[in-house]
Formats: sequence, C-alpha cells, structure tokens
Amino acid sequence: MTDAEQNGFGLQCQEVSHWFGETKVLYDLNLKVDAGQFVSLIGPSGCGKSTLLRAILGTHPPNEGQILTLQNGRLAKADHPGRDRGIVYQKYSLYPFLTALDNVALGLKLDQTTTMFRWFNWTGWARKRKEFRDRAAVFLEKVGLGQAMHLYPSQMSGGMQQRVAIAQALIMEPEIILLDEPFGALDEATREELQEMLLQLYEENLASKSNGAKPPYTLIIVTHELNEAIRVGDRLIGLSQYWDWKAAGHKTGPGATIVYDKPAPVFRPDERPDYESFDDIRKEIRKYVYNPEVMQPRDEHVCLKLTK
Amino acid sequence: MIGRPISRTKAVLLSVLSVILLLVGYTWVSHEQHKINPDDTTIPSWGQLAEGVKKFTQPDRKGERWLVEDSLATGERLAIGLALGLVLGFFIGMLMGCLAPVEAFLQPPISLLAKVPQTAALAVYFVFFGTGMEMYVAMISFGIIPALAVTVYLAIKDIPAEMLDKAYTLGASAFEVAIEVVLKQVLPKFIDAVRLSIGPAIVFLIAAEMVVGDVGFGYRIRLQFKLTNMNVVYPYLVLLAGFGFLLDYGLRVLQAKVCPWYQNGAK
Repeated sequence: MTDAEQNGFGLQCQEVSHWFGETKVLYDLNLKVDAGQFVSLIGPSGCGKSTLLRAILGTHPPNEGQILTLQNGRLAKADHPGRDRGIVYQKYSLYPFLTALDNVALGLKLDQTTTMFRWFNWTGWARKRKEFRDRAAVFLEKVGLGQAMHLYPSQMSGGMQQRVAIAQALIMEPEIILLDEPFGALDEATREELQEMLLQLYEENLASKSNGAKPPYTLIIVTHELNEAIRVGDRLIGLSQYWDWKAAGHKTGPGATIVYDKPAPVFRPDERPDYESFDDIRKEIRKYVYNPEVMQPRDEHVCLKLTK
Repeated sequence: MIGRPISRTKAVLLSVLSVILLLVGYTWVSHEQHKINPDDTTIPSWGQLAEGVKKFTQPDRKGERWLVEDSLATGERLAIGLALGLVLGFFIGMLMGCLAPVEAFLQPPISLLAKVPQTAALAVYFVFFGTGMEMYVAMISFGIIPALAVTVYLAIKDIPAEMLDKAYTLGASAFEVAIEVVLKQVLPKFIDAVRLSIGPAIVFLIAAEMVVGDVGFGYRIRLQFKLTNMNVVYPYLVLLAGFGFLLDYGLRVLQAKVCPWYQNGAK
C-alpha cells in the first residue's frame, strides 16, 4: 500500500489484464491518474473501455494485475465497489421511486446513518434527513435543477436525469468519478450544457490547486465523441487492440492496451472551442487508436511524464 | 382509434351503461323464464331476490343471521390465509431474488408448486391439515405463495445491475441494498400480484368450504343451491364479487399512496 499523500495519485492500474473465456479484452494495462485530473478515455468499440471502468469501480476486478484507488487517504485495492468511487452511467440509473432531491440525498443517508438508526431513532433521523435534503438541494442548484427537485425520474428529460445522476455522484465527494458514456443518449445542445457543467468542476479544481489545496474532483470519462473528449478532458487516453503485438512476441492479439496518452487543451466553461482546431488531434487519434491498419508499438504515443 | 383515450365522462357513462344492460338483460331472462314456469326459482325475479336477501339478513330459527356468521367465518379464513401467504410469498421471493443459493434451492419446488391446481389438491390438504381452520389457511397460503414469490423474484431480476452497483458506491451495505433499493422497487409489482391473487384465494377457499365447511360463503352457496334457492345464491355471489372489487380497489389506492412514482412511465 502506498501513501497517497506522497504521490498525489487518485488511481493506479498495475499490469491489468482481463479476459472473458477465450476473449481477451485488456492486456498489461498500466495507468496512473493524478488527483484532480480529468481523463478522457477513448477507443474503438469493443476495446474494453467499459470493462476497465467496471474494473476500477470494483464490480468486475481484473483477472490479472491490480487497481488501486484512494480509500480513506491511502491507495488500496479496488476489488469491490465503494463510496470512494462514484459512477455515472449512460442510462442514468436513477432510483425511480425517489424524487430528484431524494435521489441525491440517498448517498448521504446510506453513508452517514445506519438502518437501525433510521428505524429506531425517529427524531434523530428526521433531523438528519432534513440536513441531507438541504445539502442535496445545494447540489441540485449547482447542476441547474433547483426547480425540479420534487420530480420523479419518469417526469424528467434525459438531460435532467443525467444532471441528477452527476449530483448524486458529486455529493458523496468521491476520490474519483467514473462516467460511462454519460451524454451518449442526449441531444447536441444538452451535451454541450453538461460539458460546460463538467468544465465548471474543473475550474474548481484549478482554484483549489492555486490555493495549494487538494483538487476536489478526479474524473474519468468514457466517450465515443472525440470533440467531447478533447474539450472536457485535460488528458486523452486511447485504449486500443490495434497495436503491434506481433513485434511484442504474441501469436494472437492479447487484448487492448493504452496506445495513446497525451495532454488535451484546457477550456474554460464559457469558452466556445473552435472544433476545427481539434483537427490535428482528431486525425492523430483516429490514426493511432482507431485504425486497424496502423500497428505501432504500444508506447510510441504514450506520454508517461504526464503521470509523474 | 386504436389506443386513443376517451374522456372521463364517456368512460363513466359507458361503465354505468354496461351495468344497466346487465340488469336489464337479467330482468328480461327472468321474466321469460317465469312466463314458462311462474314458480321458477332458478332465475328468480327481483321480488324473489328480495325475499332471499331477507332470508340471510334476518335471524333464522336459531336466532343467527347467515350473512353475519358466514362473513365472519369466510373473512377470518381468508384474512389469515392471505396474510400468511403474502408474508411468506414476499419473503421467499426476496430471498430468491437477492441470494443465488436460495434461488437455486427454492426455484424447482416453487416452480412445481405453481403448476399444481389447488382445488385438485384438496384431498392432500385434508390429509395433512384436517378440516379445520389450518386446512383453509394452508390451502389459501400455499395456493398464492408460488405466484407471489415468482413475481417478486422476477421483479428483482428486472432491476438493472447498474442500480445495485451504484448503491454500493453510495455507501450501502448488502442489507441496505435489499431494503432501500430492491424492496422499494419491487413493492408496487408485489401489490399488483396481490391484486391478482385475491381471485384465486377466494376460489380456493370457497371450493374448500363447499366440500367440508359447516359455515361460510361456500357452505351456504352449496346448501342453498341444493335447495334451488337461487335467490340466496345470486346475492351471495354478488356480495363475493363486491368484496373482491373493494379489496382490489383498496389495494389500488394503497399502491397509489405508497408508490406514487409507479405511473405509466416509471413501470
């Protein structure tokens, strides 16, 4: 176990490999993410992005290697889901029986009170519940849903539900937030609004860093949309099965690994990016991450100095 | 036209019309029957029906009112049988849905029991539980447990894994996931299943009462049918239907109250 205070990492993947029967998915994946980084994880369909996310979440630990996340201030093995890692899914996964307010407050309820307390200490629970709801209301205001607190998920649009899901993750103040294609089901305008919302969180990180404090949000976002990946992330990681595994001595493809790891331009929330200026990055990513014809050594476009 | 909703007024008018048509139809059939045989009691006239109602609401020679004693007996059997069946059905379904070993252990017997027609198994209940209260309670509860357990089990299997995983990231223990996420999500579907179970539960009870009862709705219907006192049988059937309807309505109100989120979009 490593003392997180000494290295500042929020996540470490060490020689992670994963397979399902004969199907090899991830191979010897090594990754370090600093606390406060916004990492965009991109790659072709079926390359194992979601598998990696589930491994980090702890629901599907890797077959080989280990994943360490910050837990109570120290890096520890992430072999089961825990409150130190938040997750936002593409299909929102809100609890349909709770209003937006109670969906967001649920984490505080589960994390800070026990079932026995809620069942047998009614006055104490009533006081706590009010406190949790007040805090949840602040987070809903933060994601722009101050007017929709008492709506059930079935009464909200996809964009609103995703905002609630993000607030639900944020309120727990996890060490790392995982977003699995969070805006994939949303229209263009809503996507942009939510991207701006994430950039606002990034600004809070920058403000904390400038004050010498630990940045509050570390985020890994899986997306198919390259513009989104470049705009939201400060680091682009390409996961791909298309790398020169023959030269590395393999007879068959051993699975996907990180073939691209470079910094991304940083934008302010109110800054409208010129997407044409992303052209060079997009071309490079398409060539080295998505193109099965281009089989380069796996570390040729991996900029390890970024990870300390 | 298909699937297009109608106004509330039209819906109420059509409902009232259907009841009126039923009553008019019965009046006509009874009238025709009495033209053939003025003393007929198989399709009693409204006057004969009023006499029948008087018979079971007034004290008999022993000073007992049939309706009161039958309602108490049938009501008690149904209430205990339903309560036991609901609790066990829900509990077994929750265990099967949440714990894989329990699922593997209980699925075969539950699936088999669900296929056994309870009325055909009457003799088995007599052998194991005699002919007293235990037999009625066992018949009702064993009759509804498989369907309820399977409904709860399937409803749990329907919950996306992401919702359960997310609960753990929010700090829930396995017990809290079961209580705070699974149970609350399954509850409205369980109430739906209870509504569907009321009919079969009443059928099981009435069938048992017809065979071995000495008091109760089933016993009275069988006895009065043998005497061709259909002016008692028909009102008893109407009372049974009314009771079932009220119970169903109560459950719908309960569902709307306890699970307000369970509307079209959220199902």
